[in-house]
Amino acid sequence: MGRREGDGKIWLLAGATATGLGVLLCLIGWLAIAGLGAFWPLSVTEMQLRNGSALLGEIVFEDSGVIALRTSEIDRIGVAYRRVPRIDIVSQSQPADAITVVLDDGRRLFGRESTTSAARVFALASRPALEREVQHVNALDRLARMRLFFGNVGRFLATPPTASNLDGGVLPALIDTVVLVLLMSMIVMPLGIATAIHLHEQRSRSTRFVRSAITTLAGIPSIVYGVLGLGLFVHGVGGSIDQWFYADRLPVPTFATGGLLWASLTLALLTVPVVVVSVEEGLARIPAGLRDGSLALGATREETLWRLLLPAARPALLTGLVLAIARAAGAVAPMMLVGVVKLAPTLPIDGDFPFLHPSRQFMHLGFGIYDAALASSDAIRGVPRAYACAALLVAVVVALNLSAILLRHRLRERYRALEY
Amino acid sequence: MRGALVSAGTALVLAGMLAIPLYLMAGLLPWSGLPADAWSRLAVIFAGTLRAGACAVLVAVPLGVATAMFTAHFCASRLRAWIKPSLEMLEAVPTVVFGLIATTTIAPWLATHVATVLALLVVVPALLLTGGMALGQRVQSYGWLPFWLLPLIVAVVATGAALGAQHDAIAIVPESPWNAVLVGLALGFASMPLVFSVAEDALFLVPRTHTQAAFALGATRWQALVSVLLPAAGSGLMAAALLGLSRCLGETMIVLMASGNTPIAGFDPLAGLRSISADLALGMPEAAAASEPYRSLLLAALLLLVLTLALNCLAEAVRERLRRRMHAVAGA
Repeated sequence: MGRREGDGKIWLLAGATATGLGVLLCLIGWLAIAGLGAFWPLSVTEMQLRNGSALLGEIVFEDSGVIALRTSEIDRIGVAYRRVPRIDIVSQSQPADAITVVLDDGRRLFGRESTTSAARVFALASRPALEREVQHVNALDRLARMRLFFGNVGRFLATPPTASNLDGGVLPALIDTVVLVLLMSMIVMPLGIATAIHLHEQRSRSTRFVRSAITTLAGIPSIVYGVLGLGLFVHGVGGSIDQWFYADRLPVPTFATGGLLWASLTLALLTVPVVVVSVEEGLARIPAGLRDGSLALGATREETLWRLLLPAARPALLTGLVLAIARAAGAVAPMMLVGVVKLAPTLPIDGDFPFLHPSRQFMHLGFGIYDAALASSDAIRGVPRAYACAALLVAVVVALNLSAILLRHRLRERYRALEY
Repeated sequence: MRGALVSAGTALVLAGMLAIPLYLMAGLLPWSGLPADAWSRLAVIFAGTLRAGACAVLVAVPLGVATAMFTAHFCASRLRAWIKPSLEMLEAVPTVVFGLIATTTIAPWLATHVATVLALLVVVPALLLTGGMALGQRVQSYGWLPFWLLPLIVAVVATGAALGAQHDAIAIVPESPWNAVLVGLALGFASMPLVFSVAEDALFLVPRTHTQAAFALGATRWQALVSVLLPAAGSGLMAAALLGLSRCLGETMIVLMASGNTPIAGFDPLAGLRSISADLALGMPEAAAASEPYRSLLLAALLLLVLTLALNCLAEAVRERLRRRMHAVAGA
C-alpha cells in the first residue's frame, strides 16, 4: 500500500482533537486536585534557621528558592506568613507532638506539646476568641487525616463564612445561588414554554420574526444583559416601585438597588433562548403519527397540544430547565451589576414574613470564585478557597449537563418506541 | 384562552429581548455629547477588546474547525459519541473557572515561559505532520488516532515545559503577567467548543452521498474532505468562525480576571489590556444613574451589542443559506 495523501494533515487534525480533549481532562483534573487539596490537613513543620531562631508552622508555598510558612496567627488572620530563603534553613522536621489550635475566627496557632500545653498555645492569641479544635496533625495516620479532610469538606459545605470570607464555609452562597436559580426557573419556564408552543403551533410571518430575534439575541454577551438589568430593572422599575410604595424610606433604596428579584429577571432573559430551543426541539421530534391519531379521533388542536404533545415532551421541558439552570449558575458577569455582594448580612429566605425577600442583596458561588481569587485580603487562603468553590460549581454544572444529556437520550428512546 | 396565554408569553419574551437595544438607545437619547477624553478612552478599550478577541480567535478557530473536520469525517463513530458530549461539557464550564485558572495558575507560569509556548506552537504541529507522514501508512484507520496522540502531545508539552524551565536565557519577558496572550489562551479554549459544534453541524449537514460519490471516483479520505466536504460546508465553517469571534469579543469573566484591566493601546500581544465587557463589569455598579460616566458606559455597551449582533446576524444568514442549499441538494 502506497503512501496516502494527506496523512500528515490528518494527524494534525487528530492532534487538534486530542488537544481539546486534553484541555478538558487537565481542567477537570487540576480543579479536582487544587479544589480538594484546599481541604487536606497540612503537617506542622519546625524549621531551625541559620540565625539560631526556630519557626513552627504550616508550609503553604514552596519553590526552588523560598519556602513560605504560616506561623501562629496571634493578632489577625492572614498576617503571619514568613518567606524563608532555603539557604537560611539549617534543618526541617515534623515533630510528632506538634499541635494546631484552630480558633473559631479561623486563626491557626501552632505549638509543641512537650514544651507547651494546648491551653498555653491558646492563650497566645492576643485577641480573645473561642477555641474550635486542637489537631495533632503530625501524629495522624493517613486514615485519620482522611477523616479530618472530610470534616473540612463538610464544614465548607455546611457552615457560613467567617473572617470576611477567609475561613468557614460557603453555605449562604450556596443557598442564595439555589434560591436565585429557582426564582429564575419559575420566571423562565412558563415564558419559554409559551414561546416554544407559539413557534411550534403557528406558522406565520410573526413566528419567523420571533425565531430570528431569539436566535440572534441568544448570542448577545451576558454582560449586556447585566447592563439592561441594572438600567431598566434596578434604576427604572425599581426606582418607580420605590417612589410609589416605599417613599417613606427614600433616599434609602428598597428595590432601586441590586437584589434577588432583578438578578433572577436578568437571568431569566439570559436563559429564555435555551429553554425555547430545547422545548421546541422536543415538540418537533414527537412522531407525526401521534398527533395525527389524536386529531383523527376528534380532539381539537388545543386538546392535542395540552393533553398529548406537552406530556409527551416532558423530558424536553426538563432538559430545557436543566440547561437553563446550568447556564444561569455559571453566569457571573451580569450578576456583578444587579446586586451580588461579597458578604450578604442576611439570607433571602428566612422565618420573617413574607419569608422570601426579593429585594435583598445576595451572595453567589461563581462571584465567590472571582472575589476569593482576586479581592481576598489573604491570597494564600483565598486562592485555594476559590479553587474549592470552582470545583463545587463545576461539579454542579457538569452533573446538570450530564443529566440533560441522559434526559435527551431517554426522550429519543421514548419516541422511537412510539414509532412503529 | 390558553392560546391567549401562549401569545402573551411570547409577547413578553419578545418584549424582553427587544428591550435590550431599545433601552441602550433610549438611555443615550438625551444626547449632550461626550467629552473628548471619554471618546479616546472608548477607543482604547475598544482596541483592547479587539486585541483580546483576535488572540482568542487565533486559538479557538483553528482548534475548533480542525476538531470538527476530524470528528465529522475521520473519527470512529464510537469515539465521536464521546467527543461531542465531552466538548459540550467543556462549553458548559463557567468562564469564571477559566478565568481563575488563567490568573492564578497559568499567569505566573506564562510570565517566564512565553518562549516555551511559542516553541511548542511550532514544534507540536511540525511533529504531528512529520509523524503522520512517516508513520501514517502503517496506521490502517484513523478512527482512534486522537486517543493515541493525546499522551504523545501531553508528553511533548511536559518535556517542552521542563526544558523551558532550564533555559531561561531565551526567555521573552512580557510587559505584565496579565496580557493578551494569556487571555487568548484561556478565552480561546473556552470558546473552542462553540466553534467546534457549529462547524461540526455544518460538515455533518453535507449529505453522505456527496462523500460516497467522491470515494466511488477513487478519492482518498483526505481528498474527499478537501475537494467535496469543505467546499460544500465552507460557509458553515465561516459562520463558526464568526460566532466564535462574537463570543470572544463579548466574554467578560476571563477578560476581567486575566487581562490586568489597564487601558493600554497598541498591538502588543504581551501587554495588558482593558476590554469593553470588563469595563462594564467594573464601572457600571459604581456609576451613578444618568451621570456622564454612566452614559459613556452605555455607549460602550451599545457598541459591544452592535458588534456582536452584526456578527451573529451575518453568521445566521450564512448558516441559513447553507441549510437551504443542503436541503435543496438532498431533495434533488
